[in-house]
Amino acid sequence: MKKLLLGVVLLIALVFAMPLVLSDFGINLATEIYIMAIFAMSLGLIMGYAGMVSLGHAGFFGIGAYTVAVIGQHVANTYLLLLLSVVISGLIALVTGAVFIRTSKFYFLMITLAFGQLLYVLFWQLKPWTGGADGMSVSAILNFGFGEIVSPNGFYYVMGIAFIIFYILLRLFVESPAGKITKGIMENEARMSALGYNVRVYKLLAYTLSGALAGLAGALYAYFNVFVSPDLSGWMFSGQVMVMVIIGGVGTLLGPALGASVFIYLQNFMSTYTERWPMVMGALLVALVLAGKGGLIHWLQHGKSLFVARKRTGEAVSQQPVKKGEAVH
Amino acid sequence: MSLLRVENISKSFKTLQVLRDVSLEVNPGERHVIIGPNGAGKTTLFHCITNILPIDSGAVYLDGKEISKLPAHHLAHLGMSRTFQKNNLFGDLTVEENIHLALAAKKPYRYDIFSPLISRTDIRKETNDILEQWEISNRRHVKVKHLSYGEQRLLEVLLAMASNPKILLLDEPTSGMSPAETAQTSEMIQKLPRSVALVVVEHDMDVVFAIADRITVLHHGEVILSGSPDEVRNNEVVKEIYFGGGAKKHA
Ligand SMILES: Nc1ncnc2c1ncn2[C@@H]1O[C@H](COP(=O)(O)OP(=O)(O)O)[C@@H](O)[C@H]1O
Ligand SMILES: [Mg+2]
Repeated sequence: MKKLLLGVVLLIALVFAMPLVLSDFGINLATEIYIMAIFAMSLGLIMGYAGMVSLGHAGFFGIGAYTVAVIGQHVANTYLLLLLSVVISGLIALVTGAVFIRTSKFYFLMITLAFGQLLYVLFWQLKPWTGGADGMSVSAILNFGFGEIVSPNGFYYVMGIAFIIFYILLRLFVESPAGKITKGIMENEARMSALGYNVRVYKLLAYTLSGALAGLAGALYAYFNVFVSPDLSGWMFSGQVMVMVIIGGVGTLLGPALGASVFIYLQNFMSTYTERWPMVMGALLVALVLAGKGGLIHWLQHGKSLFVARKRTGEAVSQQPVKKGEAVH
Repeated sequence: MSLLRVENISKSFKTLQVLRDVSLEVNPGERHVIIGPNGAGKTTLFHCITNILPIDSGAVYLDGKEISKLPAHHLAHLGMSRTFQKNNLFGDLTVEENIHLALAAKKPYRYDIFSPLISRTDIRKETNDILEQWEISNRRHVKVKHLSYGEQRLLEVLLAMASNPKILLLDEPTSGMSPAETAQTSEMIQKLPRSVALVVVEHDMDVVFAIADRITVLHHGEVILSGSPDEVRNNEVVKEIYFGGGAKKHA
């Protein structure tokens, strides 16, 4: 818990310090990064803590985004719209997940891919409501009761704070009994079953939470981008968020968030130089996988542990005379 | 009344019949050892009793209640616990965390998604008790993958015992152990309280005769004999197929 507190303080400091150094363009980019970080954390939750690799997670993102876009034409209340996004995507995750989690790893991949594509086609086909392939603009305006939020800085702080809140909630889940048990099931299902756990309940719980959070990220994105299109549910986007999770580090919470930052940054940075930026991203991914360290976050942790280890050995050396003294007795 | 009753169960993998009309009875507190050559179907029998694998025919009763159709995770709550032949621990977790996971299965807060598991005082106390009882308090923060093989097998038994079962199924608890570790494990099994019945698959004959009240011999998926250690020791058929002529020191 102390570690969580320290982490949160650091994140808050980060969120509030960035505007001091960033240009308007940078602020916008950082805002998008926070949203994608939430999305990536939601996928990271099932990939890294429940062992479920989904190729259709953008489906939930799209559901959240279209909820704000479509229902937002008639409902203005931001809280209500966000709640609806979470509930609708969570419910759809619950119902579909009840079927999906029964499948083996490979079929899970395929069936989630199909799920995402189904939504993509649906948003495409429901033209009267969604604008079809052209997409639709979002008329709902972000307002938490303190006035309409329209400035880049306003969006920046909202998304930054949302990111921190959901990081905390996910951290709590991961440390909770249900979170620990889910991780245990990922590592050894038969064992957990023999210990008395209903493994399906936990898998479904994780999938539902993850879907609901992805939906929320989509809803925030709709406000931020003021435009939604079927691509938000497409397999390309599902693949991209998976890449974010993998380059950041599977099995951690901040890893996927870090992956999202690097991904979005490189995407923007490189696309100004070359059309072929996905290739560069691919090369980076391959390099990371080959290096075998399991994502950028592990490089950071590795660096940190080296530092700590050095400090420890320092302490051990200073303690040695005492131990020798004991040995003499 | 017997605690566990296995009634004529059969099991096939595609065309390969692995269990054929296997029946077995275990009384409360009994030490029941199952022996038989490799591939006899002992592990499969455990999987069928604990519903990791569905049976083709027959039935399994625990305390007179049919359990063969119940999902595997119900059995732990009915008092049946087991270990696995292959080490099945959570290697990246510490000894303590492994025990937490074993204990939480019966806690009402096992579906809690907000408060940290380690903030629960009851689970911390019970974990301490177990660590002290088994004299491994000094190993509590060691990751399980860094334990010796013998220690891992011990932890395996200890986790299965954490739920306070009425019956415990141990699949080759001494396999892969050094002679010293085997002796230690044998001693530990003998020390388990009589409040728990044991069904043990075991190859080491010293261990078998040290712990067994009854022995069942499984061969090609069939029970060829079930009786007291003496009966089994002196049975001609068993000598023939299992002891390979009976020239062993136990004969
Ligand atoms: N999942 C499975 N699929 C197919 N055959 C299996 C499977 N599990 C075990 N077997 C076969 O069943 C037979 C009995 O295996 P097992 O129960 O592990 O024997 P034991 O534990 O007595 O050594 C073996 O011939 C083994 O190859
Ligand atoms: Mg076996």
